[in-house]
Amino acid sequence: MINVLPIATTVLAALLSIEPLHLDSYAVLTPAFTLMATYHWTIYRPDFLPAPSLFLIGTIQDLLSGGLPGETAVTLLLARAIVLPQRHYLVAQPFPFIWAGFTLLTGGAILFSWALHSLLAEELLDLRGPVLRTVLTISAFPIASFLLGRSQRALIGAD
Amino acid sequence: MRISPARRAAIERTSVTLLVVVSAAMIIAGKADQVAFQYLRNSVMDAAAPALDMLSRPAAAFDAAADRLRGFITVYRDNVRLAEENERLLGWQQVAMRLSAENAELRDLAKLVPDPAISFVTARAIGDSGGAYARNVIVNAGRDNGVARGQAAMTGVGLVGRVAEVGSRAARILLITDLNSRVPVVVDGTRQRAILAGDNSARPSLRYVDSGGTIRIGDRIATSGQGGVFPPGLPVGVVATVDSEGARVEPYAALSRVDYLRLVDYGLAESLPNPLAISARAGKRAESAVGGPPTLRR
Repeated sequence: MINVLPIATTVLAALLSIEPLHLDSYAVLTPAFTLMATYHWTIYRPDFLPAPSLFLIGTIQDLLSGGLPGETAVTLLLARAIVLPQRHYLVAQPFPFIWAGFTLLTGGAILFSWALHSLLAEELLDLRGPVLRTVLTISAFPIASFLLGRSQRALIGAD
Repeated sequence: MRISPARRAAIERTSVTLLVVVSAAMIIAGKADQVAFQYLRNSVMDAAAPALDMLSRPAAAFDAAADRLRGFITVYRDNVRLAEENERLLGWQQVAMRLSAENAELRDLAKLVPDPAISFVTARAIGDSGGAYARNVIVNAGRDNGVARGQAAMTGVGLVGRVAEVGSRAARILLITDLNSRVPVVVDGTRQRAILAGDNSARPSLRYVDSGGTIRIGDRIATSGQGGVFPPGLPVGVVATVDSEGARVEPYAALSRVDYLRLVDYGLAESLPNPLAISARAGKRAESAVGGPPTLRR
């Protein structure tokens, strides 16, 4: 069971990120759920969330959201490439360190997306939305991390 | 078989690099040719529709419960307001009936060809674009329910967007606020035409305004029917700001939280450019040009 959990939760994160929550402007500010799942599993179980699965999940999310196909895939793959070499260090750290690492990663990822869209639109796009989205993503990470960690432990117990 | 750590690292590097290159190629291809991914998008949308539908239910149910609670709290005030409104509307009903009769008479006199029959499908939003750079929603009705490309998506109060992509059981609505949305509009009560252009902000802007006229805050904007995608006269919004860069329109419909949508078929959908033979199109137009009351398909 434990070996499908990372992929299953990341797929769920992709679906959640396009769920309408009936909140004002939520679509613009939806936290980057897939990035949370990718970061968590790349630290704790990178073998069960390999690069091709990140590519597929990212692509599916882009096709569903009607966004630029490939954007989320690139973001998740780069996140993996950055986090994977640090995982032996991170895995032994207390949560605040992990959270700080995620803060850096999210800032980078959302700035990357903003730069990409600005480049394609050939103008500097409004940064307020992306900044708010970064704040929401970072604030939501502890909850996501807690839920992912709990599900991981529950399944280890079951196996 | 155990793979050595060095070998594993090499495999990891190669696969990540390769996949990043493929994704980058997809970004470029997707930007250059919007249609290239349409088939793929439709298939993924169709496949994910049941899961999205299920996942969106708790939020929708919560929303409904909150609405009901609000209703309980405001029931007395609402009742007073509705009674007043009813009184006023009864007066309007008289006016409408008189005008309708007069209109029918005049149409008869002028031998006017009746408007095509209007039918609509009500659908629920099950997906919202999760990004800062596009404005669209996925609804839980598709080709099987009679949804077709180009149909107008409305709420009770105004235009929301148009059906851009159709799967068999889900469809994607391009909102009028999206960067790619362009709607020919007219200032209500005048002949002043403009193009309502979305730019991903909450208020689309008016471009290519006819020279000579002025646009003022509070002017009502409706579709002009030019280009043939939308019928004329659909309410869109009111002019909210006017400055040196032009006017911006506040849509009537709350686009940032779309819930239920009416996808309306005005018999014009086939005028969107698509690979359909001209003769087939002409035939369909003639066939749908039958008057009648709106019918509910679903």
